[in-house]
Amino acid sequence: MKTSKPRDLFPGALEIMILRTLHRQALHGYALCQYIKQASDHLLQIEEGSLYPALQRLLKEGLVTAEWKVSATNRRVRVYKLTSKGARHLEREVSSFERMLEGVTRVLAPVKL
Amino acid sequence: MNWITHLCKRRRLYDDLSEEIREHLEERTRELIEDGMSPEEASLAARRSFGNVTLFEERGRQTWHWMSLRDFLADVRYGLRALRKNPSFTLVAVLTLALGIGANSAIFSLVDSVLLRLLPFVQPDRLVAAQNYYPQGGFVAMRTNLQAMDVAAYLEGQELNLTGEGEPERLYGAMVSAEFCSLLGVEAEQGRVFQAGDDQPGKDAKVILSHTLWQNKFRADPKVIGRRIMLGGVSREIVGVMPPDFHFASPRNQFWVQFHFDPRATQTYWGAPWVPVVGRLREGASIETAHTELELFQRRLLTMFPWKMPPTTWQTATVVPLQQQIVGEVQSKLLILFGAVALVLLIAAANVANLLLARATVRQREMAVRATLGAGRWRICRQLLTESMLLGIAGALVGLAFAHFGISWLKSMLAAGDIPRLATVSIELRVLLFTASLGIFTGLAFGLAPALQLSRVDLTESLKTGSRNAVGASHRLRAGLAVSEIALAVVLVTAAGLMMKSLWQLMHVDPGFHSESILSARITPNQAFCDDFGRCQSFYNSLIHDVRSLPGVRGAALVNALPLNGRVAFIAARFEGYPQDLGDQLNPLLFDSVITPDYLSVMQVPLLQGRGFVDTDTLPNAEPVALITASTARKYWPGQEVLGRHVKPVWENHWRRIVGVVADVHEDSLSAILPSWIDGAIYEPYSEHADLINRRPALEMTLVVRGTNDASSFGGALRQVIARLNHEVPVTEVETLQRVVSRSVSAPRSMMSLFAIFGALAVVLGAVGVYGVISYSVEQRTSEIGVRMALGAQRRDIQLLILGQGTRIAMLGVSLGLGGALVLTRLMTKLLYGVTASDPTIFIAVAISLTMVALAASYIPALRAVRLDPLVALRHE
Repeated sequence: MKTSKPRDLFPGALEIMILRTLHRQALHGYALCQYIKQASDHLLQIEEGSLYPALQRLLKEGLVTAEWKVSATNRRVRVYKLTSKGARHLEREVSSFERMLEGVTRVLAPVKL
Repeated sequence: MNWITHLCKRRRLYDDLSEEIREHLEERTRELIEDGMSPEEASLAARRSFGNVTLFEERGRQTWHWMSLRDFLADVRYGLRALRKNPSFTLVAVLTLALGIGANSAIFSLVDSVLLRLLPFVQPDRLVAAQNYYPQGGFVAMRTNLQAMDVAAYLEGQELNLTGEGEPERLYGAMVSAEFCSLLGVEAEQGRVFQAGDDQPGKDAKVILSHTLWQNKFRADPKVIGRRIMLGGVSREIVGVMPPDFHFASPRNQFWVQFHFDPRATQTYWGAPWVPVVGRLREGASIETAHTELELFQRRLLTMFPWKMPPTTWQTATVVPLQQQIVGEVQSKLLILFGAVALVLLIAAANVANLLLARATVRQREMAVRATLGAGRWRICRQLLTESMLLGIAGALVGLAFAHFGISWLKSMLAAGDIPRLATVSIELRVLLFTASLGIFTGLAFGLAPALQLSRVDLTESLKTGSRNAVGASHRLRAGLAVSEIALAVVLVTAAGLMMKSLWQLMHVDPGFHSESILSARITPNQAFCDDFGRCQSFYNSLIHDVRSLPGVRGAALVNALPLNGRVAFIAARFEGYPQDLGDQLNPLLFDSVITPDYLSVMQVPLLQGRGFVDTDTLPNAEPVALITASTARKYWPGQEVLGRHVKPVWENHWRRIVGVVADVHEDSLSAILPSWIDGAIYEPYSEHADLINRRPALEMTLVVRGTNDASSFGGALRQVIARLNHEVPVTEVETLQRVVSRSVSAPRSMMSLFAIFGALAVVLGAVGVYGVISYSVEQRTSEIGVRMALGAQRRDIQLLILGQGTRIAMLGVSLGLGGALVLTRLMTKLLYGVTASDPTIFIAVAISLTMVALAASYIPALRAVRLDPLVALRHE
């Protein structure tokens, strides 16, 4: 049975994933959501709605921009695009995230053996 | 970006967000339909995987607010509506808070004006005061020599007659050195202040008037400057009028005259009276440097005296900020009051918290509905806090009105006491700010627990069962609040009880005389009139003769310093048989009552040994005699025969033979026989030998008249007698001796009244708190009680069940409170007389009475529980 509670990895994780995804290509909210779900192989359970407050935060910080467009399926969508500031931010975050991940892996490694 | 475009932009951002979310849901629904779901199912599934739409939308929006004024206003509107819907709750809560806040604001305005507000002088932080007194010659030497500070001297309590301006009047003022006003940095309103040199002999016949005296006596005449008036029988030129707010150093001051520093008058120049000294620190000097310099200088001063001074004359040379000097002992008193009134507010806040908690249970469903509709916990919390803050602010507003009346009442009650700067107490900006923040903070404080509790609702549970859960925790919290209310009330009531007992003890102190049916009046001829002592004495003799012949008068006599009236007449004395040179010791100072022979019988002071004075003792060539009080006799001739021994002022050659021993009389106060710096007391007959510390015979006397019944009726006749004898002699302070005695305890009485009021408030609030908790619990347990009754419980059992709950609260509260009181009342030891801070009778009485109050408060709901119809109770939901 699915739990309805969001499983947040750590504060800011969702934002990094969004930025990472937008780094590949500009997307609108729904597509972004589907992409993250698929990319994580449905391992991460994200409440779809939680994406929007995160997007608003990124917008406010100027890490992404948004623009209303018409999609291939002919619907009005608001497409988000990474800004250069967002790209720099992503780089910093990813490297610090990787360092942290490396640390966590090292600590956890002996236990797994 | 200005705020309007910001608002517009925000509006668009919100719209974008809503539309985006709608599109998201539609896209998802469409996909699911394409996967084969029915439209209804698809729409539901889309929403489910999206989560709480309202909540996410709200959170998304919140990103854009730094302060959501709109939400806040909505909260305020909603809160006002909720409060209006429940007027009785709102009324009780606001009144409770208003009492607490109002009392605090009133006391704070006192603390603010008396303790916190800076003195109204130029650079008040540079003003200091030396804590020692110095002879006038010593002050002149300080003025020329000190480097760290400029100094000025003043002497309070100058009473002079103003004659030749209508009715003779007795004025109160101060003697000051020439630089006094300029040192403080005050200017005259009219004319000028004293200037350098104004205190030299020959230039010193000047006077400065207070604004009030100028208005009342001189009808605000602008041409008054330069006029000469007769003050104390001496013609003085009016050089200035001070502004209305200047009274330094006493609010009673009506005039300022100069010292005249005359080195040739050795006795006044180096002898009494010594004067207090204020200073202004010079550039670069600190209190420490001033202190060090003064300490060194004091040693030099000792060598300047024309006679040998003991090296222990001055202990140290403490220099303190002037503000501290003025506020003095009042500080601790005010802080105790402030502490007490803060406890009252705590109780009030606990009470309102309790009310809110009770209401919270009722509102659980309302909150659950809001939560279901997407309100986050913080959102609900904020809503509730806004409501309690509204209550707090309303309480502060009403409290301000209470404070307004409280302050005028406080002023009138404390007027006779010892609080400086009382007249300046008013509701000022700082008091307003204090009140406002008190309102908001108490609002937050008492609203927090109920808000947290309510916002933690378990949705499904409360929607299902209504109002029946979260009761356990809430009830414990409420009972805890009631316990702390009782505990705080116990502390306050104990304090009030101790003060009452202390005052009761004071009032039952035997002052050593009988004050019933005695009228006193102060008679003050001019110095010039009494320079011829014979003239003075015959005036007083005729006065006594004429007063005695008034109908209803049983006796009349004169005394130079009436007991309990604040005046001290003293001599530096030498006792027969004690070594002439006391070495390091200062000569003992004796309270010297100069009396006419009938004084002891009029006042009914018991004569213990020997004889009292007779008329012949007052004749010019009579042998000098004296009476001594019992405690003084014991102190200087312990276990020895006193009659026939001798005593004299140090500067005299004639020994006075002690002819009698009289019982002690409380000269200083009901709590102390003599001022702490006086070593004993003697009596001298009113003759020309009876000279006091200024080496002059006493000339200002107080007439005491014993009547057959009501003493106060002699006033008019008395004035007529004196006017007939000498129309230039003012008669003042005409009052019954009982009034004098009662005024001497006005300071402890006003403290006691304040504490009694705080205690009463605390008890009422505490009782309401207990009542609230118990009756709420009866309400909660109605069906339980129904079950118990159905199972055969007697009404008595039910009553005990409910009362038991009240008893537990009372016991816990009372014991906690007694513990707290034991610690806290120690702070007021200084305010107590004849009772220790842990007086067992008071503690026991308070424990019993507050337990009774708490039980009485829980008795009413218990009665209601007993009267429940079991059938109705069972069905109660």
